[in-house]
Amino acid sequence: MRAIRAIVVCLLTFSIIYFLDNSIGSLPPLGKLLDPMNGCWVNAEPVNKNFSFKDEITSHFDEDSITFNTIKVWYDDRMVPHVHTTNDHDLYFIQGFIHVYFRLWQMDMQTRAAAGRVSEVVGDKALVFDRTQRRKGMVFAAENSLRVMEADPRTKKMLDAYTSGVNHYIAYLRYRDYPLEYKLMGFKPEPWTNLKTALLMKYMADDLTGYTEDIALTYLRDMLTPEEFITFFPPSDPNSNPVIPKGTVFEPALQQMPTVPNGDIWAHFKPTDFEAEKKEDGKGSNNWAVSGNHTQSGAPILCNDPHLGLNLPSLWFEIQLSAPGINVYGVSLLGAPGVVIGFNENISWGLTNNYRDVKDFYAIKTVNGKNNSYWFDGKEIDFTKRIEEIRIKSKPPFIDTVNYTIHGPVMYDAHFKGPKGLSTPLAMCWMAHRGTNELLSLYLVNRAKNYIDFTDGIQYFECPAQNMIYADKEGNIAIWGQGQFINKWKDQGRFVMNGATSATLWGKDIRMDENPHCLNPMQGYIASANQCVTDSTYPYWYNGYFKEYRSWRINNVLRGADSSHLFTVQDMFALQNDEYSVLAQNSLPYMLNGLKGQMTEDEKKYADLLKSWDYKLSAESIAASVYQIWWELFYRDYWNQKLHNVPDNIKPTYEVTTRQLQNDTLSNDVKIKSFKEAVDSIVKLDKTVGSQWYQVKNTSIKHLTKLPAFSYPGLKIGGWGTVVNAVKSDHGPSWRMVVQMTKDIEAYGVYPGGQSGNPGSKYYGNSIQNWVEGKYYRLLFLPNSDKQNSDKIKYTWILNP
Amino acid sequence: MMRFVLSTIMIAALGAFAEHIFAWWSIAVVAFLMSFLFNLKPWLSFSSGFIAIAGFWLFVIIRADTANDHILSQRMAMLIHLPNYTIFILVNILIGALVGGLGAWSGCFVRRII
Repeated sequence: MRAIRAIVVCLLTFSIIYFLDNSIGSLPPLGKLLDPMNGCWVNAEPVNKNFSFKDEITSHFDEDSITFNTIKVWYDDRMVPHVHTTNDHDLYFIQGFIHVYFRLWQMDMQTRAAAGRVSEVVGDKALVFDRTQRRKGMVFAAENSLRVMEADPRTKKMLDAYTSGVNHYIAYLRYRDYPLEYKLMGFKPEPWTNLKTALLMKYMADDLTGYTEDIALTYLRDMLTPEEFITFFPPSDPNSNPVIPKGTVFEPALQQMPTVPNGDIWAHFKPTDFEAEKKEDGKGSNNWAVSGNHTQSGAPILCNDPHLGLNLPSLWFEIQLSAPGINVYGVSLLGAPGVVIGFNENISWGLTNNYRDVKDFYAIKTVNGKNNSYWFDGKEIDFTKRIEEIRIKSKPPFIDTVNYTIHGPVMYDAHFKGPKGLSTPLAMCWMAHRGTNELLSLYLVNRAKNYIDFTDGIQYFECPAQNMIYADKEGNIAIWGQGQFINKWKDQGRFVMNGATSATLWGKDIRMDENPHCLNPMQGYIASANQCVTDSTYPYWYNGYFKEYRSWRINNVLRGADSSHLFTVQDMFALQNDEYSVLAQNSLPYMLNGLKGQMTEDEKKYADLLKSWDYKLSAESIAASVYQIWWELFYRDYWNQKLHNVPDNIKPTYEVTTRQLQNDTLSNDVKIKSFKEAVDSIVKLDKTVGSQWYQVKNTSIKHLTKLPAFSYPGLKIGGWGTVVNAVKSDHGPSWRMVVQMTKDIEAYGVYPGGQSGNPGSKYYGNSIQNWVEGKYYRLLFLPNSDKQNSDKIKYTWILNP
Repeated sequence: MMRFVLSTIMIAALGAFAEHIFAWWSIAVVAFLMSFLFNLKPWLSFSSGFIAIAGFWLFVIIRADTANDHILSQRMAMLIHLPNYTIFILVNILIGALVGGLGAWSGCFVRRII
């Protein structure tokens, strides 16, 4: 009896411990997690934690053959590190160390996502995502770039030093030191490699040049009449204020534009051949520079706000890097050495996405419909097969074979996204597959002293193509539509091409110094906001995914300088936070015109509200909500009618839609129907979440796991993708920067997050409120010296050899 | 009574030591061994393990949570759908205390067979 009692109690104890020590279903191992000595409580960072230390972290470096000179890091009150070292190696070593110290889990997850390795840690719910990444050739692309980056001694040194800095932190971690997310998800950090940095660069390239309409445009062109097609899908907008101001004279092209080849150059298929992919709205960004003639200080002002995913931990990490020959401040990407957007003692620069199309598709004709070879110029060519093994948490691995052709990897075929038995596999030809060295551009631009240094530096920035804005202390402003492009014949790559002939292959590269650019234009400012890059006088043909609305607004405001009004940094803050909708101004009067016939009380009320609206998408505006909902519904219904109900994944631009709206008298029914629907929605919203614009759009900054507990939902902020302050539901200005190039540089910035990636730290989301309110921090730019006496310095690291 | 107090103090102290070095469930092993040594009545054994670990965890957690201004505990409470951080801390301590208590109870019953 006693023995049985003992056995029962022991078994009970064992099983409870077993249950708490292992993850069950989606539950983390609770015992480990809640253990106050090693679990989540270790991540409860004391709010008064003293981050200063001297030599502590270096004690264990001795065992390894790491040699470095004294490294100093000063942290200001927002935990921005200001680094000083005596050489480049130490500079990138400590940058790697600092990045991983604050953001280890994020660095791990971002590179896992790039490489299609998420299923390893979250299970098969990520399998389709992982397969997509593999089929895009992400790892193939990163390997190509790694070879190029390691062939250059400067970037090789950068990468090796950065990787060693990251690994010196990771190597000494115990379970208790792991970021909270590892404890929740039940996996471990792994060593960093140079390849992971290359993967991160390709992750950004994919984020910014991955968008494509080629497949949808291919079947739309077959379904519509040529007149309809050219009206609804014009190659560029006739009213564009291009990135390179009109009137800029382009040098004659070094190459002739090729003629359109004869013969069967296009592919044809039906919309039903594909799973309709959800159209992801293009990411945007703004940058502009105002010349000293138009500013109160007499010095140029440069502004930039890249619109990317709003996540926590934040995409960006602020840092100042100084060593002999370099003193640069700005934002860096977690997982890559150097500063991506920022300024140094002489110049400042910023980036917006260029959106020229560098990703094309080719229809592949397999031999006998089999998976072994394909036709090319009448010859059979074997596919190069790349076996992709996708490991899956608590399941056997999934093996996908990706066929590589002369064009690139086969992205879609009967085994992937071709549910109706896609008979012609589609291969992808993408600039991001090339081995490129954008890191070298960052290395050089971070050190640039003048415009010549800057232009020399950006010659290595091939993909993702960016509109690179520039301003310096000498008073110059400039912009380059920079990236590697192909000398294409008209319409090449706009539609899916026949992949069985060499006539459709990409032609020669356009020399990088022939990219559109301008220096100190007459108009006294330069602005880019993802609009068309040039007017039609640029001698090479290109297409892209351009948006004009933000550019129209920015140009309107910046044109407003005269002797009685010169711009200040406050004007720039206001413009970055501007919520005026040119789209509403161009469309609403025509929409209201169409409202005829009987209206209900509610409909009258909201129509009147719209009539007196100032076109501002401000946080508390109800009119903004009514307009936005009405516009979305009108846009959907109008094009469903016009395009004969083609699948929902592509529609003409808003710019085309407003032109149609202004000229087309047939759309009154659509206007009325969509207005009634919009009012119904608003009435419902008013009774539930509320009808103010911020309540309707619900801007949320979500943790990468989407866990609400680590996220900031429902922020009270206005804006939308069509206005300068492009805050959407989960995308928006990921870093707002304003730099005035006076003798002592006056720089301001804010990003929606905080320097720490730890949800248990007060530096996790500490800047979000200021970002919401459009407030900025004055950035502390320390002199290039190993001694500092700024009273803004809060903590100091001193690492002695 | 003396033995109960001594047992509780020993479990808490050695438990803290063990948990610092070994896996979290070493608290159960410590409770088992102490209870085996002190040979209290079953319910006193259980209480001793329970109170020892509850006290030790409470001390560590309150210290960490106060220094952290409840940032983490609030997020953790939300994560596992508890209304507030106080309840999260109570649940957290209850789990540890239960493991401590059961470890001690096991030790006591095993001793009784021998």
